[in-house]
Amino acid sequence: MHNRALPYLLTLPSLILAAVVIFWPVVDLIQISTHEVSRFGQLRDFSGLDNFAALVADPDFIKALVRTGVWTAAVVGGALLVSIPVAVILNTDFYGRSLARVIVMLPWAVSLTMTAIVWRWALNGESGMLNSALRGLGLADHNIQWLASAATAFPMQIMIGILVTVPFTTTIFLGGLSSIPDDLYEAAALEGAGPVQQFRRITFPLLKPFVNIAIVLNTIYVFNSFPIIWVMTQGGPANSTDILVTHLYKLAFRIGKLGEASAVSLVMLAILLVFTAIYIRLAMRGERA
Amino acid sequence: MAISKLKTGLLAGLSVLALAAQANAGEVRVTVAEYSAKTGPYFQEVEKAFEAANPGVDVKFEVVPWDVLLQKLTTDITAGTNADLSIIGTRWLIDFVQQGVAEPLDGYINDEFKGRFIDTFMSPSVMDGKTYGLPIAASARAMYYNKELLEKAGVANPPATWAELKDAAAKIKALGGENYGFGLQGKEIETDVYYYYAMWSQGSEILDKDGTSGLDSPGAIEAAKLYKSLIDEGLTQPGVTSYAREDVQNLFKQGKVGMMITAPFLSNQIKEEAPNLKYGVAAIPAGPTGARGTYGVTDSIVMFSNSKNKDEAWKLLDFLFQTDWRAKFTQGEGFLPVNKEEAKMDYYVNNADLAAFTALLPDARFAPIIPGWEEVAQITSDAIQKVYLGEGDPEALLKEAAAKADGILKK
Repeated sequence: MHNRALPYLLTLPSLILAAVVIFWPVVDLIQISTHEVSRFGQLRDFSGLDNFAALVADPDFIKALVRTGVWTAAVVGGALLVSIPVAVILNTDFYGRSLARVIVMLPWAVSLTMTAIVWRWALNGESGMLNSALRGLGLADHNIQWLASAATAFPMQIMIGILVTVPFTTTIFLGGLSSIPDDLYEAAALEGAGPVQQFRRITFPLLKPFVNIAIVLNTIYVFNSFPIIWVMTQGGPANSTDILVTHLYKLAFRIGKLGEASAVSLVMLAILLVFTAIYIRLAMRGERA
Repeated sequence: MAISKLKTGLLAGLSVLALAAQANAGEVRVTVAEYSAKTGPYFQEVEKAFEAANPGVDVKFEVVPWDVLLQKLTTDITAGTNADLSIIGTRWLIDFVQQGVAEPLDGYINDEFKGRFIDTFMSPSVMDGKTYGLPIAASARAMYYNKELLEKAGVANPPATWAELKDAAAKIKALGGENYGFGLQGKEIETDVYYYYAMWSQGSEILDKDGTSGLDSPGAIEAAKLYKSLIDEGLTQPGVTSYAREDVQNLFKQGKVGMMITAPFLSNQIKEEAPNLKYGVAAIPAGPTGARGTYGVTDSIVMFSNSKNKDEAWKLLDFLFQTDWRAKFTQGEGFLPVNKEEAKMDYYVNNADLAAFTALLPDARFAPIIPGWEEVAQITSDAIQKVYLGEGDPEALLKEAAAKADGILKK
């Protein structure tokens, strides 16, 4: 029963599916990005790397690239920092825990676009909820124009990004926490370890693989996340809140440069691939040691 | 046995796919933009009436939000799954014509049909002497003013020039409270157009006579400085770059804004949402020389070259452009009439708001018919947003934008 081909045979269906769903579009993208393309996607002459060169020469692209890095790091990092304590608290037994869990998970149940639309209203300068709340509490004496410039709009977008990323991240951590056996804590408590020590010596090390998963998955989601920024500012004013996805959307569907847009999406794919490969490598090495 | 069953199953599946891919004879698919909540029901009604009058023809309307229309058309055309007819922004038409996507309609149009249209609105859809689209929606812009606010501020007549507008805005500001003189749009669709109103009144045009960008002309720079001074002196609502057109309209409906420039459909919205607001519609303010300009917009309905049912599609177009159906659509959406007979109806003749719009039509500019226009508009919007934000000297920003635009126009 030692058939060496069996594992390959068994994974073949999913490989074929992945090929159709992933590789085919990528091949298509490579084709579009290396040709001159009409407004409606008909391929013209082969143009080599012209589309990529045009990107590098475009200051808006470079700025969007850097901003995407800030956006991803801030949202993923922020979600991580918020989610660990939230998960630890939700894992302890207290009155009303199920209700608290539901509340933390709720943002996940609302579509991202809807969340963004509600925030766009809430951040409206004249009739927005946030301004009236701040003024009601006496924290501000005049209306703040949240979305009028990147200085206030982008941090707000990051905050909303964190808010909607927390539920998923917390879920991963809750799963991780429930896999830690209680006797470890009991033993540590017997030896006189306080809660901080227990967290540092038991919880965090055993949670590490889950933190790694959360970082990789969230980075992929957040890096590619479109609705929050698009709905609230469309990357504006004057492209000052653009990240790569919104830049790509404008290139493709506003201006009709499908070649350059395909190039952007290949660059994005490459960045994510390299990031994931390096990160998984580092994380695995850490685990073996 | 099992394999043969699998085979028949696969074959059956394939044939279903083949059937689905092939358009049914007599089927006409139409992509239409959703202008308001009334658009969908209107086209449902058209579908019923047309199918009753033309048995054997199956009409399918796909109602698409305006924001994603161009995206949907781009992907549909790329994949070859586009409908037979579609509403498009007339400013996109040149791309459709150059790519050979749009079918010329001259073979179908006879003199009677042509005679139904007002020429001003028909002309943007004509290229190289061929008619590629029919104007299905037309609009222009004029200035709305809040009568009560102006009265309280002691301004007797709606301002006719930008100097008067600035003066009136200052008086409204002096009233105190959350009252803003001039509602200035600084975000999303038509941000560039809102700037053109001032630019045209200074005697500048989007494109100079030699086909280069007019953004670096003295009038264009003057216009940017004018808007910037309105912002700096607190004569607009604060944070203009966070206000899309709808946001400024909402401020106007709440009675917080003295004057704003927008399309006829605001009248319909006010009627439904703020029936007690006392407002008037006047011409867009003129510049020092008396020059003024409004923005004329048409959307066209086009037939795709790859349509398999062109005759049926044309029948539907002929049906759509009957006076009664046109009137129902135009009045529901708050557009301007494109049919001559329709324009003579009482509804339009006795409507003071609409009269202000039609009076401005001789001064109407349409978006220039050039390839790459969307990109030039985007550059303009970006530059003017930077001016509003104070991220540089208006003159330098506009000259930089003009140079960028010229790079595209030369291609």
